[in-house]
Amino acid sequence: MSQLTNASKITTDLLPQKFGTGGRIWTGILVVLCLLGLYGYYRQVTLGLVVTNMRDYASWGIYISNFVFFVAISLVGSLITAIFRLASVEWRTPLTRIAEIIAVSAILFASIIIIVDMGRPERFTHLFLYGRLQSPIMWDVIVITTYLTISVLFLYFPLLHDLPILIKNSKDGSVRQKFYKFIGSFWKGTAAQFRISENAVRIISVMIIPVALAIHTVTSWLFATTYRPGWDSTNFGAYFVSGAFLVGAGGVVVAMYVFRKAYKLESYITEKHFDNMSKIVVLLALVYLYFNINEYLVPAFKMKKAEEHHLRSLFIGDFARLFWTAIVMSMIVPVVVLLFPKGRKPFPAFVMGLFVVVGAWFKRYLIVTPTMLSPFLPMYDVPDSYKRYFPSWEEWAITTGSLAGTLLIITIFTRLFPIIPIHETIEEMENIKHEKT
Amino acid sequence: MKRNNYSIGLIAVVLCLMAFLVQAQDKAEKGTIKIDLAYHQMNNDLPVIKVSAKTRKNKKFQPVEGVEISLFFNTETSQGFLGRVETSTNGAASLSLPVRFKAQFDSLFSFKFIGTLIQNDSFQDQSTELEITKAKIELTLEDIDSARTIHAKVLAFQDTGWVAQPETEIKLVVRRLMSDLTATEEETFTTDKNGDAAAEFSLNIPGDAQGNIIIGARIDDHEMYGSLVSTKAAKWGVPLASDSFAKSFTKRTLWATRDKTPLWLLIFPNLIIVTVWGIIFYLIYQINRIKKLGRTNDPV
Repeated sequence: MSQLTNASKITTDLLPQKFGTGGRIWTGILVVLCLLGLYGYYRQVTLGLVVTNMRDYASWGIYISNFVFFVAISLVGSLITAIFRLASVEWRTPLTRIAEIIAVSAILFASIIIIVDMGRPERFTHLFLYGRLQSPIMWDVIVITTYLTISVLFLYFPLLHDLPILIKNSKDGSVRQKFYKFIGSFWKGTAAQFRISENAVRIISVMIIPVALAIHTVTSWLFATTYRPGWDSTNFGAYFVSGAFLVGAGGVVVAMYVFRKAYKLESYITEKHFDNMSKIVVLLALVYLYFNINEYLVPAFKMKKAEEHHLRSLFIGDFARLFWTAIVMSMIVPVVVLLFPKGRKPFPAFVMGLFVVVGAWFKRYLIVTPTMLSPFLPMYDVPDSYKRYFPSWEEWAITTGSLAGTLLIITIFTRLFPIIPIHETIEEMENIKHEKT
Repeated sequence: MKRNNYSIGLIAVVLCLMAFLVQAQDKAEKGTIKIDLAYHQMNNDLPVIKVSAKTRKNKKFQPVEGVEISLFFNTETSQGFLGRVETSTNGAASLSLPVRFKAQFDSLFSFKFIGTLIQNDSFQDQSTELEITKAKIELTLEDIDSARTIHAKVLAFQDTGWVAQPETEIKLVVRRLMSDLTATEEETFTTDKNGDAAAEFSLNIPGDAQGNIIIGARIDDHEMYGSLVSTKAAKWGVPLASDSFAKSFTKRTLWATRDKTPLWLLIFPNLIIVTVWGIIFYLIYQINRIKKLGRTNDPV
């Protein structure tokens, strides 16, 4: 922070910037991927789920793995913003908005992708109109809706503080200024307004933690309440939550590096942030590794006949390469690299963050698919192709489109709003100055 | 001229060699196939012919998918042509004896089925035959003073009519959804000189709402008679607790309809939902308060 001399410099540094050529190409690629996904979904809606490679065995495929991934990465909002806030972690400020926008966009696409998985998406409203509370799917619908709402509020309240700055620094009468005024022209920064806002953020910080834990626990229950090899576990809630924290932290490290490079935020997102976040990733990777050992070693030790097919397919069978790559890539390698101070420098930390996120996506695929292909009671006389699953191009297009959609939301957000809270950063700087004097 | 003759001769030799090589290659590529036929008859009805096709690869027999096998009854002519079947991924196919063969089938006491594979791109021509002596199982169920007995009599059709068949291995079973359950203490019986096998039924198993179960007698893959099954329904099962499923749907259970959600599952989650959403609405109300304050206060 030593380089930061005054509030106007901070404002100039952190105000949203126009996209350069790189930014435009990036946005263009994301838009194309989204359109491809939409075309894939158009085919799925008009021709039916037959365009997917999901059949009687693998009735949950890449969409559900992707859904679990989105839910997992969304947990980061509660980690960085709420837990760090409640624990008075001072260095959190530049990371809070990054974490919150990742959370909001991921949970939004989690809701969308679950509708994509439906054979009759127009009946989506039936979940609310005719839902049975006895069904874990209903619990998930409730908790996702709740988490999305809380996450939006958590993003919105601190954003209010920056809106006068944005209104002031945008072109008079422009569409953008009108938009800023629409969402926050009423924020005058009075003491009473600050008091209400701070109080609201405190309430959300406390409330979002159990809701965030609930969302991922309930998602794990979608699996654990089903009697299937690999899912029949009492440990699943904790296993999912620990994995979600890890992928969320990895996602933040990746985003930190990208924003730091793209917007030249080296003075705000410092090496100290990478160092601290890397240490958190190591801790979370070790915790997740511990749960993985529990989930796989204990059943493998017993090797019950009915579960043998599933475990063998993971350890030495069709999924072995993917399984071991995911374990090594998303847990073991990051722990080893990030344990060393040089590994916690921005670039290596970014690479390890990527490893964690990509490995985590495949890990979700491995939680869903091999189990679907290893039923306790194999179906009689099904075509051989039903016993294997590899997503069709429509499934890949839709999945890639949804991932691109998440990134597109984050990209558009950074074009409109400061990715590091301006007001909070200025306030922090003034506090530091005040303490020094 | 002489040179031309040499050229024509050379081309002819090359063409002959090529034709020979292609033919030789064609022959070399074609594998051998093993076709098996099996005869299944249920309750003395028209039989079903089951076909299986296998080939030997890496010293192991593997099922052959997608080959068309023609089936014939007694004679490999158009009169005896039953139909053509295509094998599944398991290398299996089946065909019921068409009704047009019923009169012929009823009049004969022995007959044969022929399966042929010809002009297949991957396999050499193959033909197989299955000879069957017509037989049946007569099943009688006795329930005298709560003593339940299954009687099965094996008969074969001969010149003189139906004749009892001794020394035939038979199973007495209860037919269930996935497979047959042995109905007696012994797993198999051998028919006596009168072609009879009998055993006491002492199983205590659930039936339908009236207690109906299906009792059966079965001969498996007999070298002369094929596979025969005879079944009869009897009220020897334990009646399924009358409409227990329907009753449970009227109670508050985890599997009941939404208006029958268990009370604990209604109360606790709804308490949580109301609490959390109450706070969310409070927060939205706070935004409204901030708005009002903004309209009434000057900027700082």
